[in-house]
Amino acid sequence: MKPAAPLLLLLPALVLLPLLVLLPGLVHGGGWDLIGEFLLAAVQPSTDPVVLESLLRGLGVTAGMALLGWCASLLIGIAAGLASSRLLWRTLIGHSWPAEGIRRLLAIPRSIHELIWGLLLLQVIGLQPVIAVIAIAIPYGALVARVVSDLLDSLNERNLQALMAAGTAPPAALLSAMGPPLLPGLISYGGYRLECALRSATLLGVFGLGGLGNELLLTLQSLQFHELWSGLWLLLAVMLSLEGVIGALRRRWGMPGRFSLRASGVGRRGRELVLAGLLLMPLVFGVGRALAIEPAALLHWQALPPIAPGGWQEALALPWPSLVFNTVLLTLLAAALAVGVAPLLLLLVAPWPWGQRLLQLIWAIGRLWPPPLTALLLLFVLKPGVITAALALGFHNLGILGRLLLEGSEAAGPQRQEALRCSGTGPRLALLYGRFSGLARSYLAYGAYRADVILRETVVVGLVAGTGLGTQLNQSLSAFAFDQLLLLLVAYAALTLLGEDLSDRARQRLLQQ
Amino acid sequence: MSNPGLNASASQSSPVLELRNVTVPGRQLPRLEGIHLRLDAGERVALLGASGAGKSTLLAVANGLLQPAQGEVVWSGERRARSSRARRRQQARIGTLWQDLRLIEELSVQQNLNCGRLASWGWPRALLNLLLPLESEACAQALRQVDLDPHLLSQSVGELSGGQRQRVAIARLLRQQPQLLLADEPLASLDPRLAQELLQLLLEQATAPRALLLSLHRPDLLQGFDRVISLRQGRICWDRPVAQLQTSDLEALYAGIAEPSLAR
Repeated sequence: MKPAAPLLLLLPALVLLPLLVLLPGLVHGGGWDLIGEFLLAAVQPSTDPVVLESLLRGLGVTAGMALLGWCASLLIGIAAGLASSRLLWRTLIGHSWPAEGIRRLLAIPRSIHELIWGLLLLQVIGLQPVIAVIAIAIPYGALVARVVSDLLDSLNERNLQALMAAGTAPPAALLSAMGPPLLPGLISYGGYRLECALRSATLLGVFGLGGLGNELLLTLQSLQFHELWSGLWLLLAVMLSLEGVIGALRRRWGMPGRFSLRASGVGRRGRELVLAGLLLMPLVFGVGRALAIEPAALLHWQALPPIAPGGWQEALALPWPSLVFNTVLLTLLAAALAVGVAPLLLLLVAPWPWGQRLLQLIWAIGRLWPPPLTALLLLFVLKPGVITAALALGFHNLGILGRLLLEGSEAAGPQRQEALRCSGTGPRLALLYGRFSGLARSYLAYGAYRADVILRETVVVGLVAGTGLGTQLNQSLSAFAFDQLLLLLVAYAALTLLGEDLSDRARQRLLQQ
Repeated sequence: MSNPGLNASASQSSPVLELRNVTVPGRQLPRLEGIHLRLDAGERVALLGASGAGKSTLLAVANGLLQPAQGEVVWSGERRARSSRARRRQQARIGTLWQDLRLIEELSVQQNLNCGRLASWGWPRALLNLLLPLESEACAQALRQVDLDPHLLSQSVGELSGGQRQRVAIARLLRQQPQLLLADEPLASLDPRLAQELLQLLLEQATAPRALLLSLHRPDLLQGFDRVISLRQGRICWDRPVAQLQTSDLEALYAGIAEPSLAR
């Protein structure tokens, strides 16, 4: 008895059953009027010029931080990616062991969420605009490095061997043979990371690192929902425009899609690519000046308070099993929610064309709305804990996975669904059998990757929703308990590396079947 | 209302398919203009025409995928139903064999065959079919009818040969048990022997109360049909019994000199 592909897609949604049973027990009774006010304010955002000016300034800072962090991460990522490519080392020195060592080293910055990097740098350097940029650049750079090295190592080596056999010097042969096929995948992934950078910059703002996130948090805490929605709609407009432009460029330049269902071979329109790269440079310098970015500030470290006597014993006495268990549980619940609910909602609205548009809007809000703010909103009506945190994290990731599923569904083409509809099958079953069959494995494989990302993100909701390692991290940071902090970081890194390994295995298994 | 405009008793003697002055403006697909067509139970009709003549558009109108801008389509005496439920009941009686087959590669042969029954199944049954493929005996019977070994039921469609896939697509139609069989160039890209075998299979299924409308490229495969309709530039050139067909008709059709207004 082996479930067929479309059924696999629906299995994660079973998580809804225990959640629906447990949720009524979490409701604390008050706050529904606030939720009502919040929802009503969506259609009455504030148009006060003073508010709008402040929000626009914040949005500019967020977008600037995202752009700079993204550019820095690409530079770090490409350099580190090349340095960790087995193929490159094999071609240059005949061995690939340096690549293995660098790969292992890069796993550490990759495993720690940008928010933790931001909070750590804040402690060490103090509040500087450059912190948010570096906080994004470090983990993103390590992520890009992994993708670059994986892409490079998976390319066909025949062209390289042909050039080497013809006597071409190894560096020139590498550049000529591997550069062009590497470019489409790299640019496509780079575009996706820019979207992520905008979300991360907003999130960092929520935790005091500047920009629109901070404005959103303040308006939420002071219950100024009309002002909050003005900021949210502005952010939505920027995010949708960015996604639209990146999607259009990806199609125009013939880059592979995010789901890689219709992967193109080589990027087209090379001149436009070079021109876009050249235009980016003055833009980056201009934004850097406008945000008063001072890279030299990174060199001035503040003195950290000494570790209290007996601090290590206290750190070891923390309730580690429950902290780790809650973090893992939070990851699993949020991942199952995000992966399972997206196809379920698409099936639900299948008979109505407007339903899909509505879902797109809700998912877009889910993507841009930082999970800690969702958690704060949920705390108006729910008690803090794993489920509240999972709902917040699940909603955010649902926005990302829902969009991907819809993109994949559109790329798969309507033919099989149409055929079923023409034989009288209902719209929902036609979608399930006709489209989801082909998408199931690649979607679940992406879901496995997303679960790995969600594990990293647990820290973000843990900071406000009172559960898991994130909550403890917040307490240790506030108490300047650096011994605890160090152990927590080690625990987080170990957990995320383990999660990464498990998600890799799950992904490979799903894609090989 | 499942039978808008006409009463149920009329459907017993009504043609299986009737197109009345159907016009489809050309945007993405070739247009159709003023098409009148009647297909009675037990009739086997071939649709001939060069590429772009409008054969696929006509079949898309006949299976309800495309709605004509003018004119109407009537299936067994029923006009296109307004409610989605009634329309689905109408469509369940129309089976289409697509040129690209449109089988679901990721599912087993049995699950694909059962796709023909999805119109009459509820959600629980349809979901269960994805866990434990249902109605094994009926599926095995459908495979036998198309000369395939029932052992193939558990295989994935992705593992089948081209000829086996064609037969599975026909078996899926048999599971659907439609009244109207439509086939859009099902024999294109097949070798002559396989094309002849599959055509024979389709013709065998088209006995009353069923009717068959099949689009073709090749006039050499017309044996076994009752009538031939030729299309050119979205209009019917002629519509006549196979027995009365002249070589000059075909030459005129493909040479492009037949006058569209000469229908019957």
